[in-house]
Amino acid sequence: MTLAADSALLHEANPVPLRQTDSSPPHETLSERKRRFEQLVLPHFDAAYNLARWLTRNDQDARDVVQEAVLRAYRFFDGLRGEAKPWLLAIVRNSCLTWLAANRPAKTVGFEDGAVELLPSDEDGPDVLAARNFDRRMLNEAIAGLPAQFREVLILRELEDLSYKDIARIADVPIGTVMSRLARARRLLAESVRAASRISGTQVLK
Amino acid sequence: MTNEEANMLLHAYIDGELDPAKTLELEAHLAQSPALRAACGRLREMSEAIRLKADYHTAPSDLEARIRAAIPAGPERSLARPTWWGWLRPAGSLAAVADWVRPAASFAAVALVTWVVALGVMRPSEDERITQEVLASHVRATLVNRFYDVASSDQHTVKPWLSARLAFSPPVADLSASGFELIGGRLDYIRAQPVAVLVYKRRQHVIDVFVWPAEAQKAEQMLTRDGFNIERFARNDMSFWLVSDLGRDELNDFARMLAE
Repeated sequence: MTLAADSALLHEANPVPLRQTDSSPPHETLSERKRRFEQLVLPHFDAAYNLARWLTRNDQDARDVVQEAVLRAYRFFDGLRGEAKPWLLAIVRNSCLTWLAANRPAKTVGFEDGAVELLPSDEDGPDVLAARNFDRRMLNEAIAGLPAQFREVLILRELEDLSYKDIARIADVPIGTVMSRLARARRLLAESVRAASRISGTQVLK
Repeated sequence: MTNEEANMLLHAYIDGELDPAKTLELEAHLAQSPALRAACGRLREMSEAIRLKADYHTAPSDLEARIRAAIPAGPERSLARPTWWGWLRPAGSLAAVADWVRPAASFAAVALVTWVVALGVMRPSEDERITQEVLASHVRATLVNRFYDVASSDQHTVKPWLSARLAFSPPVADLSASGFELIGGRLDYIRAQPVAVLVYKRRQHVIDVFVWPAEAQKAEQMLTRDGFNIERFARNDMSFWLVSDLGRDELNDFARMLAE
């Protein structure tokens, strides 16, 4: 299945070139370098914060992580190849992992698949969850409750509108894994919202 | 395609990440299965709901100012020239890192070599990109059943129509005597430039012939992709790419006639 899914993906065999251009002109002054960095990287500041905020689930942590990630990105700016957005988000994601492991060890869930059991699905029954009725607060809580490896692909896909190729680069997994994680993220989310609506009695089912 | 596979491919489908041939296959499946259509509708709705209703956390305004100010303008760079892989290293004291940095570095070196080799193998060549593009064009035309912008079996109608819209004049051969009937022509966009597509028919098989000026004469080649046969050759500074579900032998005969 994974193989079949992989071969069906259009962009798979198109990795970002390792060394596309030399992004560091030899006689660049520091202020020029800083200006170039700000032009290329800072437009993705909101994306960086949004990802960090969703991964840490906390404003103060997200601020710290973004600050550290952007400074690290600046230090290693010469490593920028290809597009700035996935490059920066990969650094932000790594900073999140490092930061969470150091500061929130108990909360850190491994980024391994397989630890998550799906509830039995009755998706095809008449009791179908109509997504248009998703309650905003309930939806946000359900996303925040997803295991990190599913949460990150969902955020990168739906909120950042990134391609599978870019997501694969950021999460450092093959494209087939991006697709299977996204599928599980959406399944888990539907289950979670459904369960929450049953408990609260909120009318989200139609 | 099993139901399970179809359900999985729905995700790539609604995300616009499925290739044309699989899209075609999945859409045939969708047409037959109300349950799959319903699942597809639910997925789209959920995706839309997340985009509309999930919080997008924009950066606090003071944070950007704080970080801009923290970006050093000092001479840090001259002390140690940073390396492009350096950001992979976790932030931490050097002493703690030293223990595992050597084995990690040798591992990384091996991984890098593997990656570079894999990159050479995996990066699609220009031919591969063109193959994907002409195949996608052919499948798209099949999907919407719209093969030509100008319908005519007369080469003297099709050729001027195309010439008037392109920077070159594609050769249009009349091969009806051999059983390959010209049915029309269209324009498409391959390799980031407009190209001519001559549309021929052999029994119920449609053959797309993509034509554009070629810079270099390439060797003739034939391949099969997703059940379609693709053949390319070059003549008189023109590149020809044929795509069809016609059998290999017949397509090859047709290519030889075109090339004459």
